[in-house]
Amino acid sequence: MSQVPGLRRARQLTASVLPTRAADAYPSLAAGRLRKLGTAGSTGMLPFSGSGDGAIYFRDGKVIYAESDRTPGPAASAYKAYADGLPPLGRIMAVRAVTEPIIDAALELFTAQARHAKFRSARLPDVGLVSGIEVETLLAEIGRRQRLMKQLSAVLTPDTVISRNPHPRSDSVRISAGQWALLIRVTHGSTPRNVAWDLGRSVFCTVTDAYRLLVLRLLLAAGQVPEHGLAVMSFVRAASLKKGDTMPVINARTAAEDTL
Amino acid sequence: MILNEAEAVLDPVADIEGFLLGCLVDASTGMILASRKDQGDISLPTAAAGAADIANVLSLLAGELPMDGLEDVMVTFRSQLYIIRLMSEDLDPNILLLVILDRARANLAMARREIRNFCVNFAA
Repeated sequence: MSQVPGLRRARQLTASVLPTRAADAYPSLAAGRLRKLGTAGSTGMLPFSGSGDGAIYFRDGKVIYAESDRTPGPAASAYKAYADGLPPLGRIMAVRAVTEPIIDAALELFTAQARHAKFRSARLPDVGLVSGIEVETLLAEIGRRQRLMKQLSAVLTPDTVISRNPHPRSDSVRISAGQWALLIRVTHGSTPRNVAWDLGRSVFCTVTDAYRLLVLRLLLAAGQVPEHGLAVMSFVRAASLKKGDTMPVINARTAAEDTL
Repeated sequence: MILNEAEAVLDPVADIEGFLLGCLVDASTGMILASRKDQGDISLPTAAAGAADIANVLSLLAGELPMDGLEDVMVTFRSQLYIIRLMSEDLDPNILLLVILDRARANLAMARREIRNFCVNFAA
C-alpha cells in the first residue's frame, strides 16, 4: 500500500494526465484568449490584473483600444486628428498617434504577464473613426516588439536607470526632435518609462530612442561601461519569422486580396 | 486595418513600372503602417525592417560626416531595386517609404521622379 497521502496521490495522478500550466505558457494562453474573442466577433472588454492592470477593448472581434497603468495612453487630441481634409500623410500620422499607444499598452500587458479576467460587456471608449486592429496583426506586432526588447535587454529595459553622459564622444551629433526631447528630460534616476510618461509617448518608442542615444554615447545606462560601444539595434533580427508566422503589418493589402 | 481608406494610399506607387512591393514604415519603431505587394516571394517584414535599419545606420553617420539631411537611399541587387525615401524631413517620428522594383522592367530615373512626386503630394 502506498505511503503517499491520498490528496497528494490524487494531485500526482491528475498532473500526469492533465495539461499543466507551465511558466512559459502565458503568451500562448493570453494569445489564445484574444484569438477566440477575435474569431467570435466579440464586443466588450477583457480586463487584466496582477503585475500590470489594464484592459483590451474589442468591437466586432477587432481591438479598438488597450490601456495599461504602466504606459501613457493616447493624447486627448489624438482621436480628433481624424478631421476631413487632412492630407494622406496627416491621416497616416493620425493613425499612428492612436495605434501606437494601443500596441504599447498591449505589449506591456503581455510582457508583464498580467492575468486576464472574464471578458465582459463594457462601455467602449470613443475611438472616432478608428476601425480597430485585427487580433493576429496585434499579436504579430507584439511578438516583433518583444524580440526587439529582448535584443536590447542586456543593456536597456523600460525600467533601467539612464543618465546623460557628461563626456560625449563627439562634438557633432545629429539627433531627431523626439530624441532631443528625451535627452533634456533625463534627470537623476530617470528611466525610459518615466520619461515616456513625461513626454506622453509610447514606452517602446522611448526605449528604442534611448538605445539610439546610448549608441551615440549621449546617454549612459546603469551598469554600462562608458568606454564600451554598443551594437546598433536591428529591426531585421527582430522581424525574423518562422515559416507560416503572420506578418506584423498594420494595413496589408496584397495582389491576392485584390482579386477576391 | 486601422483606417479604411489607408489601403489606397500606396496606389500611385503601385503604378510605377516594375513595382513589386511598397510600404510605409515608422522609422522609430519599425512598424509597418501600410503596404502594397504585387509579388508573393518578398518577405515584407524583413524588407521593411531592413529599410528602417538602413535609415537608422545612415542617421548615425549624419553627425559624423558633413552631410545635409537624408533624402533617399537606393540599393541595387541583381534583379531588384530598393528605394527608401523619407516622407518628410519635418516629421517626428519619421515615416519611410520603401519601394521594391523589378530591375529588368523599371526605369530608375523615372521611378525616382514618381516616388518624389508621390511624397510631395502625400504630404500636401
